[in-house]
Amino acid sequence: MKPLLMAIVGVLALAGCADAPEPDGFAGLADAGPTDTGVPFLQPRPGDRITLPADLGPHPQHRIEWWYLTANLRTDDGQPLGLQWTQFRQALQPRRSSDPVPDPQRWPRHSAWMAHAAVSFKGQHRFAERLARGDLGQAGAQAEPFRVWLDHWELAATGVPGQWRLTVAQPAADDAPPWRFELTLSVAGEPVRHGQQGFSAKSASGEGSMYFSLVDIRIDGTVTLGERRLAVSGQGWFDREWSSQFLKAGQQGWDWFALHLDSGDKLMAFQLRDEDGGFRAGTWIPAHGTPVALTGEDLTLEALAHRGAVPIRWRLRVPDKGVALEVSAPPGDYLNRGLYPYWESPVSVSGSHAGEGYMELTGYLDR
Amino acid sequence: MLIRALTSHYRRHPLQLLALAVMILLSSALWSGIHHLTSQARHSLGDSESALAERPQVVRDDGRPVTVTDFVRLRRAGLCVMPWLEVLPADGGAWVVGIDPLAAHCAARQPATDGLSGQALDGRPFLDIADAAELSARASRLSLLWHDNGVPLPAGYRRDTLALAPDTGQLGDSFLLNLDALSVLVLLITALLLRSVYRLSLAQRRDSLALLVRLGVPERRLHAGLLAELLVLSLVCVVPGLWLGQGLASGLGQGFGQALNGLFDARVYATDGAGPLRPLLIMVAVVLVACAWGAGSLGRPTGQGTGKTVVWAAGLALVLGGALVVLAPALWLLFVAVALVFLGYGLLTPRVLAAVAARAATRVPDPLARWRWREFGVLCRRLALPLVALQFALALVLAVQALVTTFESTFEQWLGQRLSADYYLELPDGASGAEALTWLRAQDLTGQGGAYHRVIRGRGWVACPACAGPQPVDVFALAPIGPLVHSWTLLAGDDRAWPRVAAGEAVLVNEQLARRLGLSVGDLVQVRFTDGPETGVQAPVAGIYADYGRPAGEVLVAARLLPPAFAATFESLSLSPGRADLATLVAGLESVWASGPVTVRDADTIRQLASQVFDQTFRLTRAMTALTLLLSALALLLMGWVFLMTRVWYLRLLAVWGLTRVAMAGQLLRLAVGVALATWLLALPLGIGLTWVLVARINPMAFGWALPMAVYPGFWLVLAGVALAVGAAIAGLMALALRRPALRPTPASLSAGGER
Repeated sequence: MKPLLMAIVGVLALAGCADAPEPDGFAGLADAGPTDTGVPFLQPRPGDRITLPADLGPHPQHRIEWWYLTANLRTDDGQPLGLQWTQFRQALQPRRSSDPVPDPQRWPRHSAWMAHAAVSFKGQHRFAERLARGDLGQAGAQAEPFRVWLDHWELAATGVPGQWRLTVAQPAADDAPPWRFELTLSVAGEPVRHGQQGFSAKSASGEGSMYFSLVDIRIDGTVTLGERRLAVSGQGWFDREWSSQFLKAGQQGWDWFALHLDSGDKLMAFQLRDEDGGFRAGTWIPAHGTPVALTGEDLTLEALAHRGAVPIRWRLRVPDKGVALEVSAPPGDYLNRGLYPYWESPVSVSGSHAGEGYMELTGYLDR
Repeated sequence: MLIRALTSHYRRHPLQLLALAVMILLSSALWSGIHHLTSQARHSLGDSESALAERPQVVRDDGRPVTVTDFVRLRRAGLCVMPWLEVLPADGGAWVVGIDPLAAHCAARQPATDGLSGQALDGRPFLDIADAAELSARASRLSLLWHDNGVPLPAGYRRDTLALAPDTGQLGDSFLLNLDALSVLVLLITALLLRSVYRLSLAQRRDSLALLVRLGVPERRLHAGLLAELLVLSLVCVVPGLWLGQGLASGLGQGFGQALNGLFDARVYATDGAGPLRPLLIMVAVVLVACAWGAGSLGRPTGQGTGKTVVWAAGLALVLGGALVVLAPALWLLFVAVALVFLGYGLLTPRVLAAVAARAATRVPDPLARWRWREFGVLCRRLALPLVALQFALALVLAVQALVTTFESTFEQWLGQRLSADYYLELPDGASGAEALTWLRAQDLTGQGGAYHRVIRGRGWVACPACAGPQPVDVFALAPIGPLVHSWTLLAGDDRAWPRVAAGEAVLVNEQLARRLGLSVGDLVQVRFTDGPETGVQAPVAGIYADYGRPAGEVLVAARLLPPAFAATFESLSLSPGRADLATLVAGLESVWASGPVTVRDADTIRQLASQVFDQTFRLTRAMTALTLLLSALALLLMGWVFLMTRVWYLRLLAVWGLTRVAMAGQLLRLAVGVALATWLLALPLGIGLTWVLVARINPMAFGWALPMAVYPGFWLVLAGVALAVGAAIAGLMALALRRPALRPTPASLSAGGER
């Protein structure tokens, strides 16, 4: 659930692009303005279905979408290492999937892409951001063979069934040394369709997105920080989500958690904050059996401690499942200082279950 | 109370207030218009120099232009490159640059994007690259700016420097200095005009002001009151004036950037002008200083400084200025010299005229003629400032017109020679010019009355015994050297030059290079064509050719002298088919080159395009000078009228002497026209002198080339017509005023016009 796409629109708007819409809500995600081409944006509705593998590819008639991976890894000597890679697409002009792709020689402005990568190790957080124009070849995504790329960063199927490769390299900048990672992802298990068969409501009034996750991913590879090359392995969580209007007007941001519990169960939970107390939902993914959609009545979220404005320790309860967790970020500053800063940190889980996972918090820095 | 007393004057004489207000308004409009244009030009040049300072770029090893595919390939390899799409719109606007803010993100806060971050994408000059690519373009070029992030360049690419603005040396500065000088001159003229109008109105108020002093108003308070009145008036009139001037400038300024493009062969991008505050402050200050300066003694008439010191000072300024005009080694000194000459001339003119009139008055027996001469003298003294302003304006217009007309005819002629072929073909990528020549030779074009040559352009270095180190120059190579160039008029050298150049025994240099290196015919130069170990050729200069419109030094050689390693930046064929069919020739060449359709441009189109660029530059200069003239004429008209109105009672004495109304009008006409024509006559030498300074001194210093000196007596007559019209209009207005019955005699002491 990484909807920072409107950040890109922000760049174009700042740069004086006439047709960039005004950002609305956090990073403009409550925007659902009309288009001027006659082709409407499609808005997910309850009843919409997810089709695989097609839905791994892009949705040019939806305004926003993202491919998102978080990983809780350990080095050879057992040190925890958190890692994030996300790629966003923001449509500036909707296009039917059947329509021809615009001519790259005209430098089309139909879509903007953004990629984020971060490595969190020993309390240090490294973050990089890349932007690109769509339809040139510089950035894009395809379902088969699966591939998502921006510049030289790429997540792509290797040809071995269920195996993907993620490559990210960030050159040295100013006084920061270069860093990179090359990971092999072994994807197992069925995709988890959140909400109603993949339609994940984001407000009581019906705004929402299509959302599925791959939650059983074994990861091996290397992470190089400056001169230091680390062999790493661990588990990952991959999200796919698309929509045209993500937030309801008035929603200020969200708190999102993806947790791997030691019992083998997994839990996704989020809340969207607004003046009226917000909207909560989630998915309980048992180690064996069918995932269960959770509504606001099924779960509670309570911030226990803050680091600056950011709540870094939470209590998360799902009483029906006997879940009462304390979720904590490790020491350090995990702000992704890109166009729209947000918090993205690995977390440790204690309480009724032990475990690990990732937490994303947005909308706290504007206050 | 004081305020009421002061304003009562204008209540009684609303016309004077109107005259002063109109003068301030028009002066502000004129000056702000010119100032706006100047700062626009300065911004354009400044921006293109700073925003477009040299930046590293990535180019292809094979010399082909980079495309979107190259951009994607490099980005996918991890390089931080940004597209930079320069487009010259077909609709005649200035160059614009398409950039991709998303792609530039990888170099945020790095030197590669200096001057770009925070740029508005509004076409001044930056646009989103998608919008730039959509423009219908006369010319466009894609470059890939490079921020070196440590990722090595892939094979097939190399680093290069994107010279976003060609090295124009000090020429841009010189051009701006020229504009500044013109704008200072205009400011000076407007100040003179303002001062004259204001002093006149003050003279007419002198008695009432003196009365106020006698009634006990402290003189300091009176001064303060007058200053406040002036401040209010100037603020009220300067603001709409500036607004008017801005409108004027934006009307004229369109295409100004493009005109600069042509003049400097530089890409100048359209930008905003300066803010309004500075011109406002300057103009208000000018109004205050021009009007209030030296207004020390309110009770007494201001002297015109008739003393011998002024004459001596004026004479000294003339001599010193004249000498400096000839000898000045730098442009700014030349401007100082011109200013000195103007100063001396301006100081002397009214005095000389008055002296001549005084002498003539004593020599003529006819009492009416004597009256006329006396009156002429009075007018020259009393209207000294507006007369001098009109004289300066006339001289300026005359000189600028001569310069522009000379340039146009010279340029036309030069362009005609340069474009002696009927058609021009740009070689497609990878096409061989040598193969084309072999094929053309086989077609026996010469036998059919046709002609052709191949043009190869690139960079080289010229060294001569007197130069400090080798100088980079443009190389202009031709093969064969034939009838297409024989018609060129050389500035130096004779008909034998061409055969010697064709044989490779000699070279030609352009005027800019000759001036810069002090070369003349017969001098030996060493020309090097590559930066490798090759020694180049040593050859004498056989001639010097004119090369207008660009500052670069150039050497013309036979193509046979070029070494194989010479890197041509541009190749074309000039073709006059004679009786042969052009389409057949082009098709033949396309098959020789195995290329797609070749672009063929005809000489007329190129000529039109080139003329258009220069037209724009000079339309601006012409408009500026014409406006100055208009303002000066208007000022003299206003002044003459206001001044003569004060002498209405005195002039009525002519009727008392027995003159009929018609005869009186005739006398007035002769008087007013006489003064105006005398001004015109004395403006002529100043204008001719200024023309010479422009073509023979300023132009070579500012642009690197001189123009032949030419005068246009036809235009003098036009200006005489303007002077005549001003004189006649004054006389006409006076005759109208005299028709009204006199209510009461005006005491002579009530006005400055009371001199007898």
